[in-house]
Amino acid sequence: MNARIVMVVAFLVLAVAIAIAARPHAATADERIDQIATELRCPVCQGLSVKDSTSETARQMRDLVAQRVREGKTDAEIESEFRAAYGDWILLSPPAASWSGLVWLAPLAALAAGLVLVSRRLRRDVGPSSEPAATEIAALRERVAREEAAEG
Amino acid sequence: MMLARVVRVAVVLALLGLTITLALAFRRDPHDIRTGTIGKPAPEFSLEKLDGSGKVALSDLAGKVVVVNFFASWCAPCAQENPALVRVYERYRTSDVVMVGINYQESRENSLAYARRMGIGWTTVADDDGRVALSYGVFGPPETYFIGPDGVIAGRHIGPIDEATLVNAIETLRPAATR
Repeated sequence: MNARIVMVVAFLVLAVAIAIAARPHAATADERIDQIATELRCPVCQGLSVKDSTSETARQMRDLVAQRVREGKTDAEIESEFRAAYGDWILLSPPAASWSGLVWLAPLAALAAGLVLVSRRLRRDVGPSSEPAATEIAALRERVAREEAAEG
Repeated sequence: MMLARVVRVAVVLALLGLTITLALAFRRDPHDIRTGTIGKPAPEFSLEKLDGSGKVALSDLAGKVVVVNFFASWCAPCAQENPALVRVYERYRTSDVVMVGINYQESRENSLAYARRMGIGWTTVADDDGRVALSYGVFGPPETYFIGPDGVIAGRHIGPIDEATLVNAIETLRPAATR
């Protein structure tokens, strides 16, 4: 009995601990800086984010992001400042609401095209129905009857 | 059947669009990449002169054609384009055209020594924290921006620039400038 109570209490403590750890919390300034720096492209690198680059330009961009966060700017305002200077290119993931955002439709278009191709191939493999038509059956029966009559 | 035809047409149109887009993209001059700043008001700056003789603010140059050149002594193409900049500066030095050199990711001492060694007579200023370069969307030196008398960025050239390109861009903007 005691062992059962201990297990229940332990389970409750664990559940509460998990709930506390997983509760939504406001991102700290450092987390926001990291997140924004992850989304920005380093202009002097090959496919690296500002967070991952060690270049001087990336360092200056991180400093600017940190300053804007301290000034109370939102993530969108900070990103739009960089977009104003470099265009949407500066974002590693193009925004959906832009011409470059059309790239997000590419996987869907490829999937749709693939499905169409596969369905057409399957339909072709099955081929036309092998069941003879009623007129063909009638013609065959008539031929058999004729040949039987000829053989006497 | 109808659906298959629609899909076929859509695929053909998509491929056609992709081909045209790529063809147009490859025809673009990489020295004239249009990013966010072209056609918009030039970001304001107020920077100290490299020789320490005061500050230069873009707002003080309103009504003039302003040529902003980002440079660095460690940048070989900057040295390559410098003779053209010097000739154009001499040509327009008494006119309504102002040239401003902004140093890029470099100490003031090195930039000033380079400016003196290369015969740079126009105003050169220090962008110590790189904020002005970031606000203009600079990828790396040399980059040259043409700002009209209305304060709007009319053109941008990435990489070493030649005399003809400089003169052409300046003359396009001069008719609107204060004489």
